[in-house]
Amino acid sequence: MYRRVLGLIFVSLCVSQAPTQAQDFKLFDRDVQIHGFASQGFVHTNDNNWLTMNTSGFGSGEFTDFGVNASTQLTDNFRIGAQLYDRNLGGLGKWHPTLDWAYATYKFKPWFGIRGGKVKTVMGLYNDTQDLDFLHTFALLPQSIYPTDLRDTTLAHEGGDIFGDIPVGKKFGTLSYTAYAGYRNDSQYGGYAYLVNNDGAQFNSFAGLQYGGDLRWATPLKGLLVGASRMNEDITLDFLNGSNDMRLHSNPEWTNQYYGQYSWKKLLVDAEYRRYWTDLGTQGVSLIQEDVRGWYMAGTYQVVKRVQVGSYFSHYWINYPISGLLSSGTGHDYDKVITVRFDPTRYMNIKVEGHFMAGYGLPDQYPNGFYAANNPQGLKPNTNALVVKGGFNF
Amino acid sequence: MNYTIKHFRILVVVAGLIMSLPAFAAGVKIIANPSVKADSISTEELKSVFLEEKNSLPDGSRVEPVLAKGGSAHDAFVKEYLGKTEASLQTYYRTLVFTGKGSMPKAEASDSDVVAYVARTRGAIGYVGLETNTDGVKTLAVTSGDNLATRRLISRVEPVYPPELYKNHIGGIVRLKVTIAANGNVESAEVLGGNPVLGEYAIAAVKTWVYAAASSKTKTEISIPFDPNH
Repeated sequence: MYRRVLGLIFVSLCVSQAPTQAQDFKLFDRDVQIHGFASQGFVHTNDNNWLTMNTSGFGSGEFTDFGVNASTQLTDNFRIGAQLYDRNLGGLGKWHPTLDWAYATYKFKPWFGIRGGKVKTVMGLYNDTQDLDFLHTFALLPQSIYPTDLRDTTLAHEGGDIFGDIPVGKKFGTLSYTAYAGYRNDSQYGGYAYLVNNDGAQFNSFAGLQYGGDLRWATPLKGLLVGASRMNEDITLDFLNGSNDMRLHSNPEWTNQYYGQYSWKKLLVDAEYRRYWTDLGTQGVSLIQEDVRGWYMAGTYQVVKRVQVGSYFSHYWINYPISGLLSSGTGHDYDKVITVRFDPTRYMNIKVEGHFMAGYGLPDQYPNGFYAANNPQGLKPNTNALVVKGGFNF
Repeated sequence: MNYTIKHFRILVVVAGLIMSLPAFAAGVKIIANPSVKADSISTEELKSVFLEEKNSLPDGSRVEPVLAKGGSAHDAFVKEYLGKTEASLQTYYRTLVFTGKGSMPKAEASDSDVVAYVARTRGAIGYVGLETNTDGVKTLAVTSGDNLATRRLISRVEPVYPPELYKNHIGGIVRLKVTIAANGNVESAEVLGGNPVLGEYAIAAVKTWVYAAASSKTKTEISIPFDPNH
């Protein structure tokens, strides 16, 4: 309860600051910037409960998040900062604040810099900004690529990056690269924990090494960006199954993501494809294999200064090729979405979004929006959802 | 004869008015604190500085961008120099801020506030409308080269402002395409846009400029503001 009260106090403070821009102050003769954001959503579905909320019936407003950060430029090339983040989304988050990112960056040259600490992972177009609702036209990013219940799994790593931008000539555009390595540790209030705990087991941890990179090319064709990302993982799932402590190790686990973005005047078109493969087992025996493939195509258009419209089609497909701890099977979720976003001020936004979904993945076996525990009556094949969300930032 | 000259002058003034309108509508001056050593900046450098990809110029000058919160100069600058809409620029900066990769740049309420901030802040670089009084700051020429390597300007002579046009408040930005010889002398210059009369005066001045020597001749584009209020 006290977490909810703290959250509401923060949101109130944010509201009181909303008309202003960043809060700047001097500390040891350095400019320190404070920024924050908050959003509140409401979701109603016609049949199935979605995103761990009781969305069918009247709907659910358990869809709140907020964050605050502080950063400063210590020297021309050296900056530090940190951001706290908290959310409550049905059975996820549960008002437990997390250190979203906290790192130091030293940029030797535009083409070479290093970061160290808890660093947001660059993968695809929006992995590192998926929580930042005010940056996106959509209330929910395509769940085939950016499932909100699995945000922990790819969002950040405790480790380091090297990064830079390499101009390859006016005729060839610019290449940007990031390479990273670090430690991932899933939240006790994330999708995996929710699934495992509701399957009668007790989630302990899902953690380990993550390393990979991202390469993106701002092509000479104005507004066209293409890129590819790769993530390798060496992780261990630890849970209590009855009285047995199960430790399943990945062998191997990886994600490939390919993407493109084209902007022309007030039109923005995005397309991404992601494939995630994992093979978890013990003593050389595979007990869980998952092959998750998603893609989406999205378009947004700024109709007038304060109004944007958007639409996407999101295609999610999952395959459990073997029967081990869980039975084999396949599932899908195809989501057609339309959105209107209205920004009453520069710092506030309201979104109204319709989702028309066919399928629900594998609700007993993999966290992706629909859970058997939320739908004890069984899942119906189609789900329509209305999402209304408002937020602000400063 | 006097009648013809008088009419010619009127024609020049009218033509100038018509041709300089687009420059006034979309024109901006790039201004910098006098501590900035450079007299010119390329469009690529300008974009890099304002998108926080770079915080120094090739001559070593440290620079800090300052924006206006709105207005016609701001709209023109964002569109023409940064290639973005206002919404996409705000999204860009917020992405930097909320992922820890950059700061929200300083934004001032009006052009005169931008000038005041740039004047008192070492390394500050900003943009204002052509008619803004820019006392206390320096105006940078904007270059756009076929090659990315900008030649350092060693000697610059300001163009003469034709009194007739100055008196009639005719100004604007003249864009020139300039060929610089390997030894640094300006080999040729031609007007790409702006008032043709101002263009002639701009060419006369630019042909006296001297750049740093290079291994071969280079071509660049230069924007020269003629500010009737300055």
